[in-house]
Amino acid sequence: MAEVGKIRIKLPQGIKKGEVIPVKALITHPMETGLRKDKAGKPIPAYYINDVKVYYGNDLVSSMEWTIAISADPFMTFYVKADKAAPLKIVYKDNKGGTFEDTVQINPQ
Amino acid sequence: MIKRALGGLIALLLIAGAISVITPQNSIAGEIQEYTPNISAEEYEKRYNEFYGDATKKMAEEGNPAEMLLDDGKALFQKVDGSKGKSCASCHGQNGEKLKGAATTYPKYNAGIKGIITLPVQINRCRENQMGAKPWKYDTPDIVAVELFVKSLSNGMPIKISIDGPAKPFYEAGKKMYYTRLGQWNWNCAICHIKYSGHKTRANILSTNRHHADHWPTYRMAWQSTGTIQRRIINDCIKNMRVDKLPEYESEDIRNLEFYLTYQANGLPIQVPGLRF
Ligand code: HEC
Ligand code: HEC
Repeated sequence: MAEVGKIRIKLPQGIKKGEVIPVKALITHPMETGLRKDKAGKPIPAYYINDVKVYYGNDLVSSMEWTIAISADPFMTFYVKADKAAPLKIVYKDNKGGTFEDTVQINPQ
Repeated sequence: MIKRALGGLIALLLIAGAISVITPQNSIAGEIQEYTPNISAEEYEKRYNEFYGDATKKMAEEGNPAEMLLDDGKALFQKVDGSKGKSCASCHGQNGEKLKGAATTYPKYNAGIKGIITLPVQINRCRENQMGAKPWKYDTPDIVAVELFVKSLSNGMPIKISIDGPAKPFYEAGKKMYYTRLGQWNWNCAICHIKYSGHKTRANILSTNRHHADHWPTYRMAWQSTGTIQRRIINDCIKNMRVDKLPEYESEDIRNLEFYLTYQANGLPIQVPGLRF
């Protein structure tokens, strides 16, 4: 999987100030459970995201602990009150020490 | 081996009675004996709703991972590729305006190939003939993304497949496929999706085929990705029927089968991307 860690964050169009908006995010990641075996019968090592943090401006607005039960290429929707013009940053960390992040700008009208 | 046999036993128990009342037959030869559902339409609705509730609907409201693939599809549609320096958008409009509604008539008969052309095949033909680009391998992310984008241009518009004239023999061939017994179990599609629709198997309620073709490409949780109706048919249902040699994507039998199945959805609005368990 060449693009591990590729992130897409999607905001709705025409955000109004103070509106509660859905933010959708997808990260490409195999999310290997560690419980599977390859064709030769060798266990495939666990490889999954276990820590996710969302920042809106300087505020940490969400913090999540993920486990092997989350699907490959995890997709999530969460809601944020768009009360300021500020960057929204998502930081994903995995059990092998990988860190991936992406930022979008929220500009309420 | 034991596990496999046990799996088989369980499957048999799950569609209790199914095997005993159907005598294996070779349905390729002779008239197709059409099935009717074992239970009434009301009973089916009741069971289906009891089982699924509005779980998928609720999930879809929260978002569908395939939305991201849809964005990829639009970007690919606008991307120049191939020796002729063209993108799909060069001919079909920047945002695909000229293809609005086009997907409602696919798959359809095509005189050029003297057979059924599906959207992915049409897309690859445009790549080869119009763009001088290499055709995509079927059911891989790029072509699924573009198919999804093209179909989304017809979202909400009713499916209107024509099976008249030269299309008729291909519809009949697709139907024959639907009733052809395959694999170790000697099942056909119609046993599960017509006769025993509303019964439980594989931790699911067997659905009727009326709604089988209105929502592809679909994000399937079991796949953890978005795929075509042909992936569902070949890599899930036909594989589960224990067929040794799976058919190829876009092979003639499978195109005819998709044509037959899409006709069953005539009149229903296209709703992509779909979301299923
Ligand atoms: C140079 C112009 C050109 C380009 C570029 C092109 N097409 Fe086409 N497309 C056509 C023509 C002409 C047709 C009519 C049918 C045919 O000749 O295959 C067509 C037909 C279609 C149809 C069927 C429309 C219908 O109403 O039945 C679809 C869908 C389509 N193209 C999608 C695409 C996609 C997706 C791409 C990019 C991968 C693309 N086309 C690139 C010219 C083009
Ligand atoms: C042993 C029973 C069985 C047989 C035989 C079978 N299927 Fe299925 N099929 C299922 C189950 C179970 C599902 C998932 C639940 C559902 O939607 O019905 C399914 C789902 C599907 C779906 C997806 C429905 C949706 O809305 O997402 C399609 C399409 C489909 N089958 C087509 C076929 C075709 C074509 C054949 C014949 C080649 C076939 N099936 C044979 C059991 C079967």
